[in-house]
Parts: sequence; structure tokens; C-alpha cells
Amino acid sequence: MLLSPACLLLPLVATAADLDFARQVHPLLLARCGSCHSGAFAQAGLRLTTRADMLAGGVSGPAIVAGSSERSLLIARVTGARQPRMPFNAEPLADAEVAILRRWIDAGAPVTEARPARRSTRPLALRAPKVNAGPDRVLDALVTRYLGSAIAPPVADALFARRLYLDLWGLLPTPEQLDEFERDRRPHKRTRLAGSLLADADKYASHWITFWNDHLRNDEGVVYHGERKSITQWLLGALRENLPYDRFVRALLNPEGPAAPDGFLIGVNWRGDVSASQIPPMQAAQNSAQVFLGVNLKCNACHDSFISHWKLKDAYGLASFFADKDMEMYRCDVATGEIATPSFLFPELNGSSVVATPAERRAEAARLFTMRENGRLPRTFVNRVWKTLFGRGLIEPADDLDAPAWNEDLLDWLASDFVGHAYDVKHLLLRIMSTRTYQMPAAGEPFKPGEPFRFRGPLPRRLGAEQFADAVGSITGEWRLIVPRQSGEARHAREWQLKSTALTRALGRPIRDQVTTERLAQPTTLEAIELANGQTLAEILSRGARRMRGEITPAPVAIFDSGVASAAKVIGDVPLRDARRLWLLIEDVDSYDPRRVVAGWANAMLEGQGGEMVRLRDLVPEPRPERGAIHFRGDRKPAEALLGAVPSAIEIDLGAADFTCLHFAAGVDQQSLASDINPRIRFFVFTEEPDRRRLIPPAGEPPVRAASWPKDPSSLVSRLYRHALARDPSPLERGVALEFLAAGRTEGLDDLLWALFSSPEFQYIQ
Amino acid sequence: MPRKLAKELLAGLSRRDFMRASAGATLAALEAGAPRPVWPAAGSKIEPRADTLILLWMAGGMAQTETFDPKEYTAFETGLESKAVLSTFPAIDTKVDSIRISQGLERIASVMDRATLIRTYQAGDLGFILHSRHQYHWHTGYAPPLSVAAPHLGAVIARSLGPRKPDVPAFLDIGQNLEIGAESDPLKAFHTAGFLGAEHGPFLVPDPLEAAASVRPPAGMSQERFRGRYERYRKLIEASPMMKHGSGFHRESLLRAQENAHRLLSSPAAKAFDLSLEPKESFDSYNTGRFGLSCLLARRLTEAGARFIEVTTEYIPFRHWDTHENGHTRALAMKREIDAPVAQLVLDLEERGLLDRTLIVLASEFGRDMMVEGRPDKRVRDQVSQQPEVMTEMKHYGMHRHFTEAGSVLLIGGGVKKGFLYGRTADERPCKVIDRPVRIEDLHATMYHALGIPPDLAYEVEKRPFHVTRDGKGRPITDVFA
Repeated sequence: MLLSPACLLLPLVATAADLDFARQVHPLLLARCGSCHSGAFAQAGLRLTTRADMLAGGVSGPAIVAGSSERSLLIARVTGARQPRMPFNAEPLADAEVAILRRWIDAGAPVTEARPARRSTRPLALRAPKVNAGPDRVLDALVTRYLGSAIAPPVADALFARRLYLDLWGLLPTPEQLDEFERDRRPHKRTRLAGSLLADADKYASHWITFWNDHLRNDEGVVYHGERKSITQWLLGALRENLPYDRFVRALLNPEGPAAPDGFLIGVNWRGDVSASQIPPMQAAQNSAQVFLGVNLKCNACHDSFISHWKLKDAYGLASFFADKDMEMYRCDVATGEIATPSFLFPELNGSSVVATPAERRAEAARLFTMRENGRLPRTFVNRVWKTLFGRGLIEPADDLDAPAWNEDLLDWLASDFVGHAYDVKHLLLRIMSTRTYQMPAAGEPFKPGEPFRFRGPLPRRLGAEQFADAVGSITGEWRLIVPRQSGEARHAREWQLKSTALTRALGRPIRDQVTTERLAQPTTLEAIELANGQTLAEILSRGARRMRGEITPAPVAIFDSGVASAAKVIGDVPLRDARRLWLLIEDVDSYDPRRVVAGWANAMLEGQGGEMVRLRDLVPEPRPERGAIHFRGDRKPAEALLGAVPSAIEIDLGAADFTCLHFAAGVDQQSLASDINPRIRFFVFTEEPDRRRLIPPAGEPPVRAASWPKDPSSLVSRLYRHALARDPSPLERGVALEFLAAGRTEGLDDLLWALFSSPEFQYIQ
Repeated sequence: MPRKLAKELLAGLSRRDFMRASAGATLAALEAGAPRPVWPAAGSKIEPRADTLILLWMAGGMAQTETFDPKEYTAFETGLESKAVLSTFPAIDTKVDSIRISQGLERIASVMDRATLIRTYQAGDLGFILHSRHQYHWHTGYAPPLSVAAPHLGAVIARSLGPRKPDVPAFLDIGQNLEIGAESDPLKAFHTAGFLGAEHGPFLVPDPLEAAASVRPPAGMSQERFRGRYERYRKLIEASPMMKHGSGFHRESLLRAQENAHRLLSSPAAKAFDLSLEPKESFDSYNTGRFGLSCLLARRLTEAGARFIEVTTEYIPFRHWDTHENGHTRALAMKREIDAPVAQLVLDLEERGLLDRTLIVLASEFGRDMMVEGRPDKRVRDQVSQQPEVMTEMKHYGMHRHFTEAGSVLLIGGGVKKGFLYGRTADERPCKVIDRPVRIEDLHATMYHALGIPPDLAYEVEKRPFHVTRDGKGRPITDVFA
């Protein structure tokens, strides 16, 4: 363990003597004396890690006498005035270093006073503010009282629907969905719409899983050669069934059973030594405190915090719940000799039950986090939900629940209502979305730095990377695919289901090594460059425009697909029927070193009607073959083309000949079988020209059914605006949009799509 | 941080803020939670010696004894004892009497009189050799896992100094493909600006020959169409009823980002990315392969006004400098790849009068040895296929193990001493550091110092300071500066 200390925090304040213990003295002692004089087995019983340690001293007596370096043993030892000189058998301290120690001792050995942010004055338990209104009206009543005036009239139906669809499904409402909603004349139709969107468990889960992936650091398939485990399946299930939030948290903190989300407690680990502040129990403590309780333990996982009231022992107390046994405490990666036992951040909740075994520890943590008396759990969560829906929390930063809320009553009422409804997350969402407050027009202007925040309505919120990609997909019909490893059909994917791309990383999909509770909404130049000329979006738009104009025919299906193959030979006897041409393709899947993979088709033969065989390697290469003859299309000799680097493609003209079967033994060349290449490739045979981007065509419906786009440019523009922005174009806009389409070419539509998707109105939830 | 202090700091930063604003970030970014700098308590202003930093990254662990720290040479013969071999190349003279380097680096030897050579870089002791984790540590100064996302060195520089020219991204990364198979994710984990925010992240140019495409319209789109698309886009935005009401602040931030992107993509500076514009003779003098051409691109971008450029031989497990076997032959090939372009880069920058204000740093995540994995006193699990005691084949001949005790770093230009040797390693195995060790925080502090950034500069994240060198403790090696 340890040896890569990264105490990220050092105090910014200097002491009266202009010398800082934590910044100047402690690191010096740590570096020069720490290897012997620290921890449970400190030499001569002397630890030099804290002021108290030094005053207490070891077998030779106190190490320091505060106020007198002359009488301090520490100085006598490091100067050699008293033998043996320290550090023992090592280079003596430099004069400047001794001077620092002297000055510090002479100044009375001061220890920097932390300037802790004040602990919240809010009681831990929830209060239930009294409001003279029915439960449906309380939020609005509190906001009206706060504003001192009536809440602004709600936004129009379509804008409301766009908000709601993006907030609940992460998808744009289609023009048909908008029409239906606008035509609806029933009372409470907005609440009804929210209810019906919430009722679609799959779509709801497919959106909110991104929120949780960010918070819980869950990322599919990202490993660092150390332990890490996906909790996607559990998370998806929990969201689909709307697992009550208290049970949700309990399952994460105390995973039981094979399907349990133990990946959360396992954390993100790299092979090798890690700082004591990043071992798995400490990661679990930091992350659970931050995400569920709005407590930042990052500083005090290493030392007492200088910016909050949290102490090193608080972090270890919590971490000990997630360890197998009591933990020895390390201060800045140096053992202190003190042992931490499980103790909750809010000691008033600590129980009296025995907490010894690992299972008991986790169970107790789960109980403490979620007990009714712990109002911090629901407050933290409702604040995060509020922040997600309004762009800013009732408390900011949302990771520091000790900070004041702009409306304490609102916070506590909402949290109480949430708990009172059995921690039902969908209830909470519906409660907020039914208010006039949620339906207020967006308040666009930024607050000036330094000025206190005043709530004036929801802030415009940037589409998340996944929302953006899915919105583009729903309009263009271009979705990424999940390709099975065995031969079979592909499935359309929502963006969250696959690894990030250059596009989604540019749009803010985080690397989930750390908890992400807020994605920065600020547009950046790098991201604008990615949108302007990145290959990912360019391909989506160009295919999308063709698709919308009906120019894309369904991709042909292979007559042979080996599935993912590695070392074994793939024997194929593929029946041919009326084939005029053949394409033999080899694609890399995810070889360790794809550039060194050599693969090919051995003994490839065509069998004729009468059983006669034609060896592919005997064919004649011909860039432009004549009709009717069997030819290898291309310039290379068949023997070279049949075995080579991957990916590769061979085209064969069968002419008029009538073959019944293609035989081959496909595989990886011996020299590519080394473990540092680790080939994983896939062989395909097609009889129609394959679509290289859709070798395995998708089956089934895409996440949003593809629209049929009007041929008439003006109608197309109308539909496009309606889908992308939930409104009709103004006459002026229609004019410009039609300019894009004037030449009647696909690229005009491609460019119009780009312009719309790059517009602020598209990229923000207004 | 007290608000008053913050205000003063920001007032002091107004010029830089202006530059950043002009480059795409906006003052609104500060409000949006972008990290603010916390200047060091005892920091005095450092006069920058260099405006640009070029990091030449020897990815995969460059064997110091086969490059810049040659030891006794033993020629290959069958039956040779492994432990008898310290270097598989003879040493050659350089322009500097006191410095000898390894055969195969003749061109670099000829410019050694412009360089400072550090032979005593000690890599992080991370308990296990994982190239990408050591590279993460080298590039950020911190070893993962971490509780906050650490920024890449280039991002720190981009954030602290901003771009030199608004049309050239402040942080350019040339030659590294991030999709390299098994270690892709660890690479991505540090090729970021971390908590500093994506604005300061790397502008990635995986292939120098395709660099022009990264500042051109997407494939298949003419310049004319690209310009026309943007012009109509502006018209469409102006025609939008949202221009009259709705959120001005967000709209403007986004439009400014688009404006910056399009200015960059159509600016004359974008020509710097296009290697086809380089005269043939010059192109050929760099063209030893991808790395060589990346050096050429770095030169062009330095001329155009780049701030930080990393040029890599590219990390791919078991390739390039990651010599697990056949080390001699592969080191020879790598030296052929780097020798001419590195020297040419130095000469070209010098000829253009840019070398004095450009610091070139050539470095690697650790060194190599034939026998020792890790450090002599702290061995780690051997990850290299068996090195036999007695060599029977040429492929056994070379530095195959990961040696973290000592490695070489070359510094050129940017105000460093010329023809200067810093630090010494033992001449007998284990070739330990025996004089003036250099740790990553000190190396970072040295690079930052050259650029005028104090080593204890910190950025505020979650209300706490994050120092640009580990805990603010890096100390510049002032000895290397002229």
C-alpha cells in the first residue's frame, strides 16, 4: 500500500509565526523522519506525525519543548549536538531545514487552525414546514411566498412537452406526440403526460441511468488492470422497477446476492500501490458520503480538513464500515498507530449493535444511511433532482449539504413528502413536474458572480451528450448498434449503452473515474470544432440526410458471418444461389494490436453444379472485368489478397457461371497468434455489396420509430422544426431553411441538420 | 478562499482572462463553476524564459543505457551472459566533450551543445509496472486512483497561460491514437483537462499526415460548402425568434464557441497543420516515419504560435519503446526514427530564432535494464518474458525489463544551459542514481518554471486547492537554467 501520497489539500493560511505546520513542518518531518518515526511500530516509540506526538515523545522523552528549540531533543538530534545524529545513517538535515524546525518550535510549535466551514444549523431530522395548502399546492405556495409575487404563467404546451420528454425519457417529443398532447383537452393533461411518460419503465430507465452512471462511477467495460465491476444490469433493473430510494441505497451499501451491485463498493482500482486515502473502503466512504449525504470527505481521507469540520477519524470511521476489520489510520500516507472503528458521520445516529463481521459492518452502514432520523439522505437526493430539473440546486454546491438552501422550507417539505411516499422517486418527479414552478419560463440571464442567488425560474439546461446523440438519432434515424459476438442480428442502441466517442466526450460525457454530480454546461471551442468537423457527427448527418430522403436501402445481410473468431480456424461451406458476385470481408473486432493481425482465406474454392472446383487463388485479377467471366476484382494477385492485413475486402465476379457452394478454411496467420496481438476478428461473405458501416444490420425497431419525411421541402422544414425545437419555423427561418435545400441535393439537408443541431435552441432545454 | 482575495486575484489575471475569453472560454465560465486559480502564498512572479513547450514523448519506456546514458558496451555473441551486458551499443562522442551518448544518435549528438542532459530521472514507485499508469503519473504528477480528476500537464499550461495565438489550440497532442486495444481507457483517463474543464483539454492529432483534416471541413465537404453552411447557420440563428427573447447568456456562449471553432478552422494558422505545404527537402529531412513527421508538425505549429505540444512515438503495448524482447534491434529502429527529426527540430527552431523561447523536453515514463525490474532496492513482479542467464539468440540481446530507478531526460532551448550534464548514475549494475536525483514533481516544476508558472500554483476544486505539482512541493532544478 501507499507510496504515492497525494494529499491534495494543504492549508492556505499561515500561522502567526509565518510558518505553517501542515505545509512546511509536517512534510519535512514526513520526508526525512517518517520512514522510522511513524505508525504503530515507530522507532524508540517516537512518532513525529503530530504536535501531540512530539510533545509526548518516545523512550528518550519529549521530542520538543514548545517555545524553546534549545531545549528540544529533536533539534539536538538533527544537529548532532546529541548523538546519535538523526536521521540515523542518512544525510543530515540541511541548515535551512533545521532552521524551519527551530523557528517553528520557538514560535511555540503552532499548528494551523483549520478554518472549518460551519456545520449546518439545520437539524438532522426533517422538519415539516406548515403551509396552508393541499399537497399539490405546497411547492407553488412556498415559491410564491419566496418570489413575493405570483408565479409567471406557464410555458406553452409544446415547450412544456419538450422539457418533460427530455427530462423523463431523454428524448425529443416527436411531432405526432406533440400533436396529440396539444389536442388533448382533458384537465390536468400536463400531470397526465408526466404520469404516462413515467409509466414507460424502459424509456425512463434509459434516461435516468446516465444520471446514476455519473454519480456511481459506473462505466461499461472501462478497466484499469485492477478491480472494477459494472453495476449496469442492477441499475437498469432498479430504475425499471422504481426501487424505493432507501432500498436502492441499502443495496449499494450492503450488496447481497449474486445480482447485487457490489461494483459500487469495489470502486475504481488500478494495479499497484495506492495512497491510503484511495483504498477501496476509503473510496466507498468518500463516494457514499458525497453522493448520498452531500458530505465531502476527500480532504479528511488524508488529514483533518482545513475547509470543513470533518476530521481524519470521521473518514476512517465511515470507511471502517466498508472494510473487513477495524482500520489503522494513515495521515498523509503515514501510519498513525491509531485504530479506527466503525462510526457514522452523524454520531447521534450511531447504534449500539455489535458491528464486527464484514456483513454486520455493511448492514449497519446501510441502516444508518437510510434510517428515518437521517434527513440528510432525502435532502441530498431531492436537492440533486431539483438541480437536474431546474439547472441549479436548492442548495449549492449540491455536494455540500452543510450550505444553506435558498428556501429551507421548500427543501424540507419536498424531502418529507418524498419520505412520506416511501422514497418513491417517480412520485418525487411527478410532484415537481406538476407544479407551476416547473412550468415557469426559463430564466436565462446569469447571476453575477458574488451576488446571492435568486430563484426566478428554471435555468436553460444543456442537453447531455447522451440526450444530444439520441435526439439526433431520433430525427435522422441514425443510431449506434449493439453487435452480437456470435453471428446474428444487431440491435439499435441508446447512446448510454455504448462506450463514449470523441463526439460524446467533447459534449461532456465524463470519464467516470471520479463521481460526477454535475456536468459543466459551458460550451467549449474544442467541442464546437468536434461538431463542426468531427467524423462521428459528419457521418451521422450524411447518412441521416440520405436516409431522410429515402436514399438508403437496407444494408444487405451476410450469407456467412463467423462471429468473433480468435485462434481457431473457421471452416465454411456456404451454399450459393444465383450469386453473381461475392464479397469476402475480414473485420477487426477488438484485437489487442489490430495493426499486426494477418488473416485470410485458405483453401477457398467455388464448387460448380457438377462438383467441379475452382480455386480462388487461380483466378485472374482484373480491375474492370468483362461481363460473363469469373474474375477477381482488383489489382492484387489473389494469393496476396487472400492473406493479409485486416480489415480486408475481396470482390469476385462470378460472371455467368453457376456455383453452388463456397468452401474455405478462414483464420488468423500463425504469426499473429502471439498474446500481445491477441487477434479478434470476424469473417463475412456477402453476395450483395456490403455496407461497411452496417455489416451486421439491425433488426427490430429503433428506440424511436423512424419518421417518413415529406418530399416537399417546405413540409420537411416544418416537420424538422417541430421535431427538433417543438415549434414551427418562423417565416424568416423557413426562408433560410429553404435556401439550404434549394439545390435539391442531399448535402443541403445534411447542412440544414447540422445548423439546427448546432443551434443554441436545440442544445438547450429552455 | 475569501471573496475579497478572489477578486484581487482575478483582477490581477485580467489580461490572461481576456486571452482566454478570446480563445473560447468566457468570463461566464467562471460563474459556471470553472476552477479558479489560487496563487501560491509565497509566490513571487517568475519571469518566463519560454513561451512554448514541446514534449517529445518516448512512449513505452526508453532504455537510457541504449540512448542517453551509455554504459560499457558488450557486443553480442552466442553464450553471452546476460548480467555481463550493460549496453548493447558503443558510446559515441557528442559536440560536448563531457557528454557521450549511444551510437545511433549521431544527429542528436551534433546538437548536444544546445542541450542539457539529465540522467537521473527517477520514476514513480507505483508498486507495479503498468505503462499507462506510469504515463498518467508522469503527465499529471499524480498516481491514480484519485478523488478528483487530475489535469494533464498540457491542460495546466493551457489553463494557466492560455493560447499564444487565438487561432492555435493551446494544448496539442500529436501522434497518439487513443484506441489502442487493452490500454485505451487508461490512456484516455489522463489525456484530459480533468477538473480544469474540457476547454483546456487536448486537441488530438493522431496522425500528422492527416493533421490538415483535423482543421478542415469533414471529409467530402468542400471549403466553399463549409463556409456556406456556417453563413447560413448564422442567418438561421438571426432569424430565430429566440434571438429576441430567451436566454442571451447561454446562446452567446454557444455562438462564441462556434465562432471560435470556425475562425480556427478557416484561419491562416490552420495551414500550419498541412504537411503537404512543407518543401519536399525539409519534409524528407523529418520523414523517418510518423514520429518524424509529428516533429515537423510540431515545428510548424510552434511557428504558428502553439503553447504546448506533445509529440509521441505512440504508446502501444509491446511496441515502439516498449521493448520486451529483441531489444537491441528494436532500440536501433527507434533511434533511427527519432535521431534525425529531433536534431532537425532543434536546428529549424534555432534558424528561425525560436529556440530560445521554446523549451523542448524529451522524456519517457521510465528507463530499462536487462536484469532489474523496478528498482534495485524495491523490485516489482517481472512482467517480461524470460531473460535467460545466457543468451542463445539475438532476440535475448537488449534492455527488456522496466527500470524505474533511473532514466534520461533531454532539455533543449527555452533558457536552459547549453552543453550541460546534470546528475550521474553508477557505471556498474545496478546503474543507480548516485548524484542529484530528479523526481517528477521537480521535473514538472522545472518545465513550469521555464514558462513562468510557479510550482505551488493551485486551482480550486471543491473548495480546496489542487497544486500543479504534487502538493505544491515541486522545486525547479534551477541549476539547469542558464
